[in-house]
Amino acid sequence: MAARASAPPAVFGGLRAAWPVLLALSAAAVAIRLADPAGAAWLQNLLLVFLSLLVEAMPFVLVGAVVSAAIEVLVPASAFARIGSLPRSLQLPAAAAAGVAFPVCECGSVPVARRLARKGLAPGAAVTFMLAAPVVNPVVVASTFVAYRGREALGVMVIGRLALGFLVAIAAGWVIGAVTGSELLRVRGGSPREEEEERARWPRFFSHLGGDVVFMGRFLVVGAAIAAAIQTFVPQTFVDSVASTPVLGLLAMMALAFVMSLCSESDAFVAASFTAFGPAAQLAFLVFGPMVDLKLGALYLGTFRRQAVGTMIAVIAATTLAATLWLQVVVG
Amino acid sequence: MTRRWSLDRLATGGALAAWAALFWMLLVTGRTSLYLSSRTAWLIPVGAVLTTAAAAGRLATGRTDPPTSQKPPWGAGLLILPVVLALAAPPATLSSYAVGRRSSFGGAGIAATARAVAGPLDFVDVAAARSTRDALATLRRRSGERIFLEGFVTTPSNLGADELLLTRFIVTCCVADATSAQVRVVGVPPGSYDTDDWVRVTGRVYALGAEVLVVAEEVEAIPIPTSPYLTP
Repeated sequence: MAARASAPPAVFGGLRAAWPVLLALSAAAVAIRLADPAGAAWLQNLLLVFLSLLVEAMPFVLVGAVVSAAIEVLVPASAFARIGSLPRSLQLPAAAAAGVAFPVCECGSVPVARRLARKGLAPGAAVTFMLAAPVVNPVVVASTFVAYRGREALGVMVIGRLALGFLVAIAAGWVIGAVTGSELLRVRGGSPREEEEERARWPRFFSHLGGDVVFMGRFLVVGAAIAAAIQTFVPQTFVDSVASTPVLGLLAMMALAFVMSLCSESDAFVAASFTAFGPAAQLAFLVFGPMVDLKLGALYLGTFRRQAVGTMIAVIAATTLAATLWLQVVVG
Repeated sequence: MTRRWSLDRLATGGALAAWAALFWMLLVTGRTSLYLSSRTAWLIPVGAVLTTAAAAGRLATGRTDPPTSQKPPWGAGLLILPVVLALAAPPATLSSYAVGRRSSFGGAGIAATARAVAGPLDFVDVAAARSTRDALATLRRRSGERIFLEGFVTTPSNLGADELLLTRFIVTCCVADATSAQVRVVGVPPGSYDTDDWVRVTGRVYALGAEVLVVAEEVEAIPIPTSPYLTP
């Protein structure tokens, strides 16, 4: 009895630590009721865009986390070591091609790439897979086809997006290939000790699944909030005027893709609405956006080390810009 | 050694359960259409099943060997925050405020070619005609046909007293990719409708030069439709 009195059940002691979080959530609920979004159009718009981004992205994050946890629990590290021993000139195209078989948008590919790198796959190959999958998967190719069906530029847009997706992902993977796994991945907080100590398969699976969802989810929430704020407060006339600057047109379209944070399965329909811009500028939007945007930026910063994120974004931007500039000369 | 409940695992299970509750609520109440298009609505049942299974699995394996972390679970809390906001805020749709912050619809590929040329004209056909020559030519051939349109009212200052802009958002995947489609309606009783009122217009559609307009025969107020956004 004395021992029980001095060490209360952990669930009650633990709940004490949860009180600040529960109080903050309650305060948020009260605040949103008092703010009355129905009477404030900007708040209503902000909430709708913020929640729609999350409601759409969260199932993909879950699918990515399920795949990631299955890789952790079911696939032995030796399998990745064997792939890692292949020459880089084979690894990177193979990793990009693997993206064809992973039809989820960009939020789902990040946890998988992180897990692949942790399991010993070459960092460059993991990054190449992560960047290529959202651009080259069949669902995205089909949506691009549907969005541009009936237009002269159909072939350029579909083939160009596929080819540039491969090219930019491989280029980024090639540059990142120089670092080691520990230089690529950020050390995660929380209690990894509990995950590592689990021996049974299912507890391990759910540890990794839950850990990945919470880890990725919080960065997704932050990224979605920033994207929603920009979509709410920045007028379209301003965006259009920036995007139509002749010399900076390509950069402006990339910046627009970064800000809008669209899902790669829907962005072709939005790109198709920029009828004032040529195919090259629209391709810049369609290739850069699924690889680098506000919500992904937050996810990357939570997953990878800052220097690796900087390098990755610089290579993606430079390669996309160079390739679309060349295309602009060829096709307009 | 006795295994104890882990706060981290309970919090993670709680966050997953909160998302499961949100997905189930959207599914049961039909509020999916406030956030997603009909094309991506399947994500909600998938999300509901996955989050429910993940929450159940995490809670069922929630015990661990002591000692466990006693830090406040802010990460899980941040993940629960959107669920709290979605449940606390009243249901709403994009309104006239969003029109100035969205691109205009230009889905020419779909509207001009893939849709049945002989079928009844709708908002997507009319909107596409304002952005592409092919769609405008199609509409011009059918000038004078009767059309039924539902949308909300926007009233820019350059319109006449008996005119309004009927607006509808076209959503491909989620509200974040919404583009606006607008058509000028003439012959509306002056002062009858305010900005953001939802109306059904019955009238005849005309393509005049690059402009498309609908001459109203009947305009009536309607409640916000269950599916407020169109899918291209």
